[in-house]
Amino acid sequence: MSTKEPILRIEGVVKKFGEVLALDHCSFDVKPGSITGLIGPNGAGKTTLFNIITGVLQPDQGHIYFGGEEITGKKPYEIARKGVGRTYQIIRIFPKMTLLENLIVVGKGRERKVIEKAMDLLHLVKLSEKRDDYASDLSFGQQKLLSLAQVLMLDAQLILLDEPAAGINPTLQNELMALVHRLNEQGKTFIIVEHDMKVILGHCENVIALNYGQKIAEGSCSEIERDENLLEHYFGR
Amino acid sequence: MRRPPLQKNHAYLGIAALLAFLIAIPFFASDYWITLVTLILIFTVYASGWNLFSGLTGYTNFGLAWFIGVSGYISSLLIADHSFSWLFAWPIGAVLTSIASIGVGYILLRIKGVYFAISMVALTEGTRELFGTEYLTAITHGGKGVPFVAGIKLSSLYWAILLLATLTLLICYKITSSKFGLRLLAIREDELAAETLGIRTTRDKIIAFALSAFLVGLAGAIHFTYQNYIDPSFAFSIHLTLTPIVMTLFGGVGTVFGPVIGATLFTFIHEILWAELSLLYMSVFGAILMVLILFFPQGLLGWMKEREILPRIRKI
Ligand SMILES: Nc1ncnc2c1ncn2[C@@H]1O[C@H](COP(=O)(O)OP(=O)(O)O)[C@@H](O)[C@H]1O
Ligand SMILES: [Mg+2]
Repeated sequence: MSTKEPILRIEGVVKKFGEVLALDHCSFDVKPGSITGLIGPNGAGKTTLFNIITGVLQPDQGHIYFGGEEITGKKPYEIARKGVGRTYQIIRIFPKMTLLENLIVVGKGRERKVIEKAMDLLHLVKLSEKRDDYASDLSFGQQKLLSLAQVLMLDAQLILLDEPAAGINPTLQNELMALVHRLNEQGKTFIIVEHDMKVILGHCENVIALNYGQKIAEGSCSEIERDENLLEHYFGR
Repeated sequence: MRRPPLQKNHAYLGIAALLAFLIAIPFFASDYWITLVTLILIFTVYASGWNLFSGLTGYTNFGLAWFIGVSGYISSLLIADHSFSWLFAWPIGAVLTSIASIGVGYILLRIKGVYFAISMVALTEGTRELFGTEYLTAITHGGKGVPFVAGIKLSSLYWAILLLATLTLLICYKITSSKFGLRLLAIREDELAAETLGIRTTRDKIIAFALSAFLVGLAGAIHFTYQNYIDPSFAFSIHLTLTPIVMTLFGGVGTVFGPVIGATLFTFIHEILWAELSLLYMSVFGAILMVLILFFPQGLLGWMKEREILPRIRKI
């Protein structure tokens, strides 16, 4: 994959839920190695877009390409194995499995290697001491970290985070974002849905804004900050 | 806070001694006791086989009797009408049932929760009708059933089911502590999350379902050979589905040894205490099922693990 080719291309995606137009001819590209913020008010279609990229939902129209290859209509596990990982807005982990099991179950290949990698990742998210606890025993913020570690276990190249900072304390929030940057330096691409403009402006290179399923703005953080129109939409100023 | 793990060597010794005792039973025990242990072992396979799929994936299979009945019928008819030896009739019944279960799983394992459970009940009831219908009398003997003699001694049948029960437990032990077993648990915990983490949930569910069908089917074939008789209402009876489920719930869903404990205890209770209460049997059973689900959902082993009386490991 050349560095100029987008790692993800969204092309004219439409998704309807009955009368609700959740995504309305949405198109954009994501550069490999970037951190993109996805913003928009509640109900704008951000989570729906993640669901469509990861194959959890099928679009009514449009195409999704990952690394130049069309992935529209593929099954979630196929898309995941190609290297697209995600976390959920409402945490989805395996509560009655231990932390270590939560990671091992995702791993591929030899058991010893898988366990080693799982332990490395638990160290990375600072949860290695709790490796034999059930995931349900973790705090909300720790569960989010575990969920990110699961995505890393998958070796995902493109990682979609749905409101990762919501509902967790500032210390953990900073830790999480620092981790995102570190992984980004190692070459991973991120798309982050976030309500907190501070998080977006502080951590993302590019921003895409959705409203009523339509892309209403796209650009670098500074461009978006200057976009009066958008601020009006977003902050209701 | 964690207790030291049970001494492994002691556990192996205990299991070896128990196995030696079980192997020796036909040499010293009366037919009554051989029969009782045979039933315990049959229900151990039913309960463990149910647990292997439903306990791990969380897809409640209310059609266990379908595995038992289909395999029981195939093997019984092969022995009764086509002069097959039990040695071939049993595995043929189990393999065909397992293959059929792949087709069933392919269709039904896409439906979640209660709909899957209901579909399996409907499938079992429908198959019971099919085997009972007079139009197929030439093949199935219709509703009046099939008496037959397989020419196997009680002791041989006993050793066969002992071998199967041992293998079943070994398989359950291996699977629950394997990555495949963890994937099945992940399906139980959150199937969508499992799928977006790259797990082929449908394939894994079908494999576990088919393996469960094979083991339970094999036990079913042995069961009806032991009875020397099969008929539709017996082969596809809801009792054959519910009893192993209650046994598993009692011993501990998703544990390796819970179903054995449940099967042993409940077979004893059934034989010894309730031989005279047969009319009340199903209602008492239903009441126990409800109490277990409401107040004791983790079962005996689950409860002991929670209290850390036993180590919290999947291998128990
Ligand atoms: N599964 C669904 N069924 C029906 N409507 C849905 C479903 N998922 C989302 N929607 C609707 O689609 C719109 C976009 O929702 P969503 O993507 O969750 O927004 P966001 O994540 O940006 O807050 C909303 O109007 C929401 O009610
Ligand atoms: Mg959302």
